[in-house]
Amino acid sequence: MKLTRREFIRASAASAVWMLGGSALAADKPKPKPMPFKNALIPRKARPSTPAKGEWVASTCQGCTQWCAIQLYVSGGRATRVRGNEISKSNHGYVCPRGHLIPQQTYDPDRVKVPLKRTNPMKGRGIDPKFVPISWDEAITAVADKMLELRNAGEPEKLLYMRGRYSPTSTDLLYGTLPKVFGTGNYFSHSALCAEAEKMGPGLTQGFFGYRDYDLEKTNCLVVWGCDPLASNRQVPNTIHRFHEIVARGTVIAVDPRLSNAAAKAHEWLPVLPGTDGALAGALAHVLLTEGLWNREFVGDFKDGKNLFVAGSMVAEDTFVEKETSGLVKWWNLELKDRTPAFAAKECGIPADQILRVARAMGKAAPKTAVWMGPGAAMWPRGTYAAMAVHALNGLVGSIDVEGGVWESPSGPPLAKFPSTDKFIDEVAKKGYKNHATNSRGHKDMPGLQVAPVNDVPNQMLKNPGAIKMVISSWSNFNHSATGADRWNQVLSKVPFFVHMVTNPSEMSQFADIVLPSTHNSSEGWSIVTNMSNGYAYASIQQNPIKRVFEGKQEETEVMWLLAQKLKAKGFPNLADYYDLIKDPETGKSATSELEFSEFAAKFTSAPIWMAKEPLKGDAPINGWAAFKAKGMFHGPRYTLKKNWGGKFKTETKKFEFYSATLKKKLTDHAKKHETTTDDILTVSGYTARGDLAFVPHYEVPKRHGSVEEFPFTFIDYKSRLNREGRSQNLPWYQEFKKVDPGDVSWGDVVKMNPADGAKLGLKTGDKVTITSQAGSITVDLKLWEGVRPGTVAKCYGQGHWAYGRVATKDYAKSVPLGGNNNEILVDDYDRLSGATARNGGFTGVRITKA
Amino acid sequence: MKLGMVIDLSRCVGCGACAFACKTENNTRNRANGQSHNWADFLMHSEGTFPNTRHMVIPVLCNHCDEPPCIKICPGNPEKAGKGKPYKALFKTPEGITMHNPELCVGCGDCQTKNGCPYSHEKLDGKSLTGETYSVISLNAAEDEPQPFWADKTSAIPGCTSSGAEVAAKAGARVPAMNDWQGGETKAIRSDDVIEKCTFCYHRVSNGLQPACVEVCPSQARIFGDQQDPNSKISQILKKEKSFRLQEEKGTKPNVHYVGKYSPRA
Repeated sequence: MKLTRREFIRASAASAVWMLGGSALAADKPKPKPMPFKNALIPRKARPSTPAKGEWVASTCQGCTQWCAIQLYVSGGRATRVRGNEISKSNHGYVCPRGHLIPQQTYDPDRVKVPLKRTNPMKGRGIDPKFVPISWDEAITAVADKMLELRNAGEPEKLLYMRGRYSPTSTDLLYGTLPKVFGTGNYFSHSALCAEAEKMGPGLTQGFFGYRDYDLEKTNCLVVWGCDPLASNRQVPNTIHRFHEIVARGTVIAVDPRLSNAAAKAHEWLPVLPGTDGALAGALAHVLLTEGLWNREFVGDFKDGKNLFVAGSMVAEDTFVEKETSGLVKWWNLELKDRTPAFAAKECGIPADQILRVARAMGKAAPKTAVWMGPGAAMWPRGTYAAMAVHALNGLVGSIDVEGGVWESPSGPPLAKFPSTDKFIDEVAKKGYKNHATNSRGHKDMPGLQVAPVNDVPNQMLKNPGAIKMVISSWSNFNHSATGADRWNQVLSKVPFFVHMVTNPSEMSQFADIVLPSTHNSSEGWSIVTNMSNGYAYASIQQNPIKRVFEGKQEETEVMWLLAQKLKAKGFPNLADYYDLIKDPETGKSATSELEFSEFAAKFTSAPIWMAKEPLKGDAPINGWAAFKAKGMFHGPRYTLKKNWGGKFKTETKKFEFYSATLKKKLTDHAKKHETTTDDILTVSGYTARGDLAFVPHYEVPKRHGSVEEFPFTFIDYKSRLNREGRSQNLPWYQEFKKVDPGDVSWGDVVKMNPADGAKLGLKTGDKVTITSQAGSITVDLKLWEGVRPGTVAKCYGQGHWAYGRVATKDYAKSVPLGGNNNEILVDDYDRLSGATARNGGFTGVRITKA
Repeated sequence: MKLGMVIDLSRCVGCGACAFACKTENNTRNRANGQSHNWADFLMHSEGTFPNTRHMVIPVLCNHCDEPPCIKICPGNPEKAGKGKPYKALFKTPEGITMHNPELCVGCGDCQTKNGCPYSHEKLDGKSLTGETYSVISLNAAEDEPQPFWADKTSAIPGCTSSGAEVAAKAGARVPAMNDWQGGETKAIRSDDVIEKCTFCYHRVSNGLQPACVEVCPSQARIFGDQQDPNSKISQILKKEKSFRLQEEKGTKPNVHYVGKYSPRA
C-alpha cells in the first residue's frame, strides 16, 4: 500500500531523516529557521478571488411532485448550481436538498449515452441483456416496425404504454395522444403508486379529488399526518421556510409511526400503530364533539345550543342544524359515539391523555388548524376510510378554505390545450382504444374510483397471456418502484418487445429490447410544468439551457416526433399529421426537427401567458417569449377563501359531507354495473364496513399479510428527503448524506428496530439481517433506534438497486444490490376503492433474522 | 472586522441543502481514505427511549477560531516562503477567516490531529456515517488524483453508458458541474498533497455575496456577518439570544455560534 504523505512524513521523521526521499519540497537543502510563532497569527490578506461567471436560467425541478420553479446557474454551457426561482411565491427562492442534486444527475457517468439494442434474447433479473449501441435512426426504425406489425395485424391494442414521471403539459403528446391515435386502451400512468388513495379523503367529503394546499403562513396548529413535509410529500421548501414560525407561535403535531423529521421538530409526536389512523382520527373527532370544540361557523350547532354529543349516546338528527356540512349526526351515531380516547388508545397505541391533549389543541386553534394528510394515512388496503377520517377533522375544526386552514387548488394561469386528435383516429385505432385487457379498474373487486391500478397490470398480464406483445414505457422503473417488484421481473421477461425511455440502465431497462436515452428535463428538456402551493398556482418553464453531453432526447416531444415521422414514412401518417397542428405561435410554422417540436410545444402551451391580449389575473403581464423565458414562470391570482362555502362543494349534497352521499352514489353505480349490492362490493374488495357505515369516515382494522406469529414485525416504509423519486441513489452525494434521514446511515441501507426488540433477538447495530415477508426477502444492515416502536421496523425506500448504475448498486455487473429494496418485501395489494397501491399502514408483516 | 456565523437550530430542519450547496460551490470530491471532503457537515443525535425520543441535528463547518490550534500546529513551508516571510499554510485573514494557502502546505495533515483541530479527525470511521463524528479538514493524499470520480475512464456498460472522464471531457471541465471561481488562496479544485477546508466562501464574501451554505438555506437558519459591527444581524442575534459554541472548553474561541433548540421537546 502506498504511504500517504502524512504517513511518509511521520515515518521519515521517526527515522530522523525528515523529508528525505526527494519530494517536491527539496528537503535535502538546509531549512531556514522559522520565524517566531506569534508572528504566524498576524493576519495576512488573502489573494483576491472572484465567483464563477455565468447566468441564472429559469427551469423547473421535477425531483418530487411539487415541481418547484427553479433557476440553474449555467456556466460555459454547464449546469453548476441550483436555487429556487427568486420570484416564486411557492418556494420563496429556495430549493430543498433535492434541487441541488440536479447537476449531479445531469452529469451522472452511468447515464445511457446512446440508444441501445438488446442482443441477448434471454431476459431475467441478473441476466446480462448484452446491450449494444445503435443510432437513433436504427432505434426509431425498430420501434416503428414493431408498432406497424401490430397495426397491420389489426391488433394495435397489444401495445401497452406505461407512463412514469411526466410533464403535465407535454404528456398530452404521448400519454394523451399515442394510445388514441395508434389505438390501444392499454395505457397507464404511474399515479396509482404515488398517493392517489389520499385524494379519497377530500374527494369523498368535499368533492375535491386533489392535493390540498395549506396556509402555513397563518395556521396556528399544524397536524402533519402520515407524511413528513420537511422531507417529502409536497411543498417542501415552503414547509421548511414556515415550520419554525408555526412551532414558535402555535402547536405542531406529527402523526407518524416512525420518528420523522417533522416528528423530531413537533411539540407532539403520535407514533400511531401502522394502519390504525382511523381509530385515532375517530377519537380526536369524538373529543372535538363531546367537548364542544367543533367550529360552529362551518359545522353549525344544536338547535337549543346544548351539546348532546355524549359518549355512547345516540343523537336525534333533527336536533342539530348544519351549515356548510352534511351528515354530522349520522357520522356520530354510526361511528363516533363509541370512539373514545380509551378505545383508540387500545387500537393505535397512543395514550388517551395525549389524544385528549392533542384534540384540545386542535380545537383551541380552530379554524386555524390545518390537518395535512399524506399517503402514510391512506395508501393501504382499506385506506380510503382512513383518508376520509383524517381529512374530516378539517371539516370539524372548520379549516376548509379559511385563513390558516386547508385549501383546494388556486386557479392557475391560462394555458393552451393541444388540438383534438379526433380527426386522426381511424377505425383500427378506435377499436383498439376500447380494449382494456390489462386494466382491472372497474372490475367488481376493483372499483378504482380514483385511478387505474397500474401495479395490477402484471397480474392482469399473467391472467391474459398474449394480450400484450409490445410495451413502451417512459421515465418509469416499476421493477424497483412498485410493490411486489418481482412480479414485474417475471412479466417483463416474457414481453416480446419492450422499449424503455429512461436516463439510466435501470432495473426495468434490463428487460428492454430497445433503450432510448432520455433527457433530464430540468436541465435538458423543453416543457411547461404547472403546480401550486402557498396560495398560488403557477406555470414554470424548462428550456434546455445547457450543452447536452449525452444523446438523450425528451421522451414526450422529441422522441415522439421522430417516431411519428418514421411511422409516416412507413405508411402511417396520422401521428405526424397531428403533431403538425402544433405550430410555433409566433411564426405559425410547424416543426422541422425534434428539438424544434419540443420548443414549439412549450411555446404553444404557454402562449396565452406571454401573448395575452389583455392583462391576466395574477402576475404582471409578460410580453413575449423572450421575456417569459427570462422570468421563467407566471402565477395566477391568490387563492379565494371560502370559495366552496354556501353550498358550492362539488359533492352530491353541495356540502362538506360527513356522510358521503358522493361515495354512496359512486359505489351504488359500481354495484349496479355488476348487478349486486354495495355490501357485496365491499366484501369482495376487502373492506369490513357494511350498510351505512361504508359512507362515513370510520375505522377499519388494518389488513396484514402474514400472521404475527410467523411475521412478528410490522413493516414501515417511508421516503428519503434525498429521493428524486427512485432515481438519485446513483449519486455519490445521495449516499454521502443519506444520514439526513433520521436514523439512517450514509453509504448504506438500514432497517431500524427498537433496541428492546434487538435485545430480545440478540441483534445489535451493524448486524446483517434478512427481512422476510410473504412476498420475498432482502438483506440489509440493522440499526437499533429508539425512533421506532417495539414490534415495528422501519426502512426508507430508495436503496436496494440491483441495476441503475455503479453507485446505486454494490456491483452493477453482477446485479448485486446496495442494501435492499422495500418493494421486494412489500406485498402487492390495493386500496381497491381508489385503485391505489398499498405501501403503508402496516399491511406487510415481516420477520427479521441474522443473515 | 470579525466574520462569523450563527446557526439557529430552531430553524434548521437538518435537510442537507447547505452541505450540498457547499459541495457544489467548492467542487469537493467524494469521500475516500477516511476523508469526507465535506467542508459542511452535520452532527446527529437521537436520545431518550420510545416514545419519548428526541432527534437533533447540528450543522457543522470550520469554526474559524480566534485561537486556531490548526495554525499553531501547521509546520508550513519556511523554505518555500523565504526567509522572514510568513510560512504557515494556515493563517488568519484580517476578516477573521482561517484561510489555507496550498502553496505552503506540505500535506502533513497535522492540522487534522487532536492537537491540530478538536473538530477534525485524521481518518474518519463509520461513526461519521451516522453523524457522530466529522472532520472540517480533509487531506488530498500525495500523488492521488484529487477528482478520481471524474478521472475514471471505466463504464458500467462499455460503449453504452459513459464514464466520469468522458462526461468531464464532453462538458468541458475537470468536474462537469465545476463551479469555476477564480484566484484566491484555496483554488476551485485542489491539487494532491494538500489539505482543504472551508474558507467561509472567501471568493463570494469578499465580493459582497453570502457564503453558499447561508444563501441556500430554505429556513434561513444561518446568519453570516461581522460580529464587530453592532448593527449587523449576527451581532444583534448574539446580543439577544443565548448562544453556544462547540467544545468551548478547548479554548479555541470559535466564530460559529448556535442559538435555539432543534426540538421543542428537548
